[in-house]
Amino acid sequence: MAKRISALETMPVSPLARQTRAVLAILAGAILVFLYLPIAFLILFSFEEADNPGFPITGLTTHWYEVMLSDSSIQKALLNSIEVAVAVAILATVIGTTAAFALVRGGSRFAGTGRLLFTLPIMIPGVLIGIGLLIFVRRALNLQLGLHTVVAGHLVFTTSFVVLIVAARLQGFDRRLEWAAADLGASARQTLRYIVLPLIAPAIIAGALLSVTLSIDEFVITFFTIGPQTTLPLYIYTQIKFGVTPEVNALATVMLFVTLAVFGLGSLLLSSGRRFRRRASE
Amino acid sequence: MTDPMRDYSRRRFLQLMGAAGAAVGLGGIAAACSTPASSAAAPTSAATAAGSAAAASPTAAAPTGTFNWMTWGDHSYPAQLDAIAQTAGIQTNQTLFSDNIEAFTKLKEVGGQLDMVSGDALWIPHYFKNNLIEAFDLAQLAVSKQLYSIAQSFPIWTSPEGYLGYPFGWSPIQVYYDPAKVSPEPDSWEVLLDPKYKKRVVTEDQAVEVMAYMGKLTGSKNSYSMTPEEVATAKEALIRFKPNVLRLSNQATDTIAALKSGEAWIATGNLGTETRVKDQGGPELKVFTPKEGTIGWMDSEMIVKGGANENLIKPYLELANQAEYIAANFMLNRRPLFNEAAYKILVNQGQQELADRFLYNKPETVLTMDLKGPGTSTQAAVDAFNEVFGA
Amino acid sequence: MTSETASGADPAPLAGSSRGVRARLERAVPFLPGSLLLVFLFLIPMAIMLVYSLWRTNTDFNIVAEWNLNNYARFFNQPTYLRTFAKTLLMGTAVTVAGIALALPFTYFLVRYVSRGVQRAVLLAVIVPFWTSYLLRVYAWQAILGEKGALNQFLMGIGLIKEPTTLLAYNDLGVFVVLVYVYFPFAALALYAALDKFDFTQLNAAQDLGARPDQAFRHILVPQIRAGLITACIFVFIPILGEFLTPTLVGGAQGSLIANLVVNFFKQSQVPEGAALAIVIAAFVTVVLIVFRRHLRVEDVVARG
Repeated sequence: MAKRISALETMPVSPLARQTRAVLAILAGAILVFLYLPIAFLILFSFEEADNPGFPITGLTTHWYEVMLSDSSIQKALLNSIEVAVAVAILATVIGTTAAFALVRGGSRFAGTGRLLFTLPIMIPGVLIGIGLLIFVRRALNLQLGLHTVVAGHLVFTTSFVVLIVAARLQGFDRRLEWAAADLGASARQTLRYIVLPLIAPAIIAGALLSVTLSIDEFVITFFTIGPQTTLPLYIYTQIKFGVTPEVNALATVMLFVTLAVFGLGSLLLSSGRRFRRRASE
Repeated sequence: MTDPMRDYSRRRFLQLMGAAGAAVGLGGIAAACSTPASSAAAPTSAATAAGSAAAASPTAAAPTGTFNWMTWGDHSYPAQLDAIAQTAGIQTNQTLFSDNIEAFTKLKEVGGQLDMVSGDALWIPHYFKNNLIEAFDLAQLAVSKQLYSIAQSFPIWTSPEGYLGYPFGWSPIQVYYDPAKVSPEPDSWEVLLDPKYKKRVVTEDQAVEVMAYMGKLTGSKNSYSMTPEEVATAKEALIRFKPNVLRLSNQATDTIAALKSGEAWIATGNLGTETRVKDQGGPELKVFTPKEGTIGWMDSEMIVKGGANENLIKPYLELANQAEYIAANFMLNRRPLFNEAAYKILVNQGQQELADRFLYNKPETVLTMDLKGPGTSTQAAVDAFNEVFGA
Repeated sequence: MTSETASGADPAPLAGSSRGVRARLERAVPFLPGSLLLVFLFLIPMAIMLVYSLWRTNTDFNIVAEWNLNNYARFFNQPTYLRTFAKTLLMGTAVTVAGIALALPFTYFLVRYVSRGVQRAVLLAVIVPFWTSYLLRVYAWQAILGEKGALNQFLMGIGLIKEPTTLLAYNDLGVFVVLVYVYFPFAALALYAALDKFDFTQLNAAQDLGARPDQAFRHILVPQIRAGLITACIFVFIPILGEFLTPTLVGGAQGSLIANLVVNFFKQSQVPEGAALAIVIAAFVTVVLIVFRRHLRVEDVVARG
């Protein structure tokens, strides 16, 4: 997939450049293999007959998929995880992007301190944040725990990641583009909508994806901040006595393919829509 | 989305057992036969009847609703919960945890937001001492007649106000080894330190537990409450143990995987590890309980003080602890439970050999173990463990 | 709402007229959500933990308000903690270098040679596997790297080795490989965001003017993606200081990193003791970052000016 060379490539191609490109393509391919190798094993183990995911494989079966489909508690846990991850991604992206603007554009006096403060939640072990939040929420605020408190707990560090990513993109961003827009009579809002947001969109998307990634597998903070519910990581990490069964691998496999399918379909629709629009405007 | 409990159990049954024709449906009948007295005498007799898989709709008087339960994953199974929700209208919201201490820390903060908590051995009186749970009259629950008599009167769970928890399951920690690689036949914790087995041992990633093994080995009296001298001696043993440790396992999955692949020859673990390894095509392992004695866990369900849905707990316990559920739970998770009637079901199903191998018929064994609980040497044990396993 | 606050944060610098109270207020608004979040969800809870770290746990597992510094003394008086911390910093550095060494050519290739749609798809392909359980993925690595693992089978199959090697897992090498695997996507995302806005014609221009490719790379590309590089470093290096699962699962008995030691206290509910260790580590990193950040800001100003 990575090797499909873009038609956008219009630069003069020297033999050296071609060589570089080939080497890079091979490297990129190798990296994807490196990333997907454990996934391949994870999927393989979901078909394992015995109740422990690992080598040697004793036999292949789709049994664990059936178990998963009839397991109401793991499904509930999955739904809770998704609910939390979506809420976290939306809130972290909005708050984080706003804060990144404030940091980069809001005067340099607090920028350094601000960025440092946002870096802290990333490096503080989750267990500190989790217990600290639990005590604060219960003793000081006397609020009930629930998925909302989990969202709050996850926001602490996901927002930080969004801030850093978006700030990195905003920094060194060519302000002259905005000034040019303003000179040409664009309002501040128009400049934001048509100049700034499209330029920082990759960073915002990256931040949102990262938030989902971090939230969906968070265990420690979740444990301390959750009420009487379960999330998927809680389910997985608490099987200490007897260990996880390939049922979890089966669920992970399904999740993987569903997300890939959703995104694949989404980007297909998006790009074909764009193509259609472009053709219509021509 | 939810299968009837019988089909579900059977499927897992076949999967786990490889025993054809062993249907849990039969278990339901056996249970109905083994508990007629209790269902007649029960104040919530309708609930008891509802406990059998074929039960009818709930009676109007019985409380229905949802209660909140902090527990381990093995204390119930989905089909059981679905059946109870359908027949009695009692639903459960579960929060899972791994260590007692996590649950204790959390309950201290949230109190009555939870209604029931599972916990181990000496943790139970500790919860009680901290005013977090309520004692109750065990005999008031008809289903408690199904328990081994010893489980109905554990001194550690008895207080003047009543019993502190509803007894559930237990297991000693044992040592598993591959007889093809390990000789002579070991019978002591000492084998963990044998230089012959460099990088061949797997043990839990639990500082206090591993220190407790070392405490047992070096003859300390109570391995969770060691004196400073005992901790020092145990630490010496731990230093000798470290080179033998292949990995510190995070879940039972880890231990089993290492034994199954043959990377590890010796491991510490819960009852039944050898069966699971063998079922999965791993080597034939042997197992022993160290002659110095061992540690173990025994758990129960506690009723949280001031829980908002406390009225649902006893009806739930009455249903969920019915023998056929417990028997099915044994087949799923393979460790002894305190329900004697469930043992009889297992015997009737031809599973006596399996149940006995898991010491199901020997609940008195728990009295010989050092029980998990909050000890006085926890901090010293973690310090010692860190100093040995750090760089 | 965001768009409004964001545009408020963005007063046209050339206009220079609205410097009144309203402008200042407008400027403060975008700070609000982030600041509230930091204060209520992070700083206050951390202050609570800081206080706890100065108390102690009694044998009843209750936290007692007895002020003392013993929990901090533990870190400095027991060489194990310092040694393990040093080892962790080393591991973090190695993984960061490796992660960026892989992510830079990877994202460079994506941005420069591949169409936008494919870029998105590949980035997604990089991140989606990480939506499955960390634990399951590390278990899969055990099955790959172990003595009886897939890699050994493969190496023996092609005749490269005769006996299965135990060098791959349950040591620091195993931890290194798995950590690079775990943190690569973070580095890739951060670098992608930075490279994506880089104008590659500048490289050609530099080469047209006689720069060697490596010179062009060093003097043109690197300075302009510095923010992205630093973000990538933070993303990879700092979380490694909190890593405890990978070290136990693939590091064996010798692979413990500092977080393992901290977690051992928390697992046994020795909250003040664990909190103190965690705070020492966090404080150390904060100091490093402060030093680093000053340095960084100066350079950035220079680069932008």
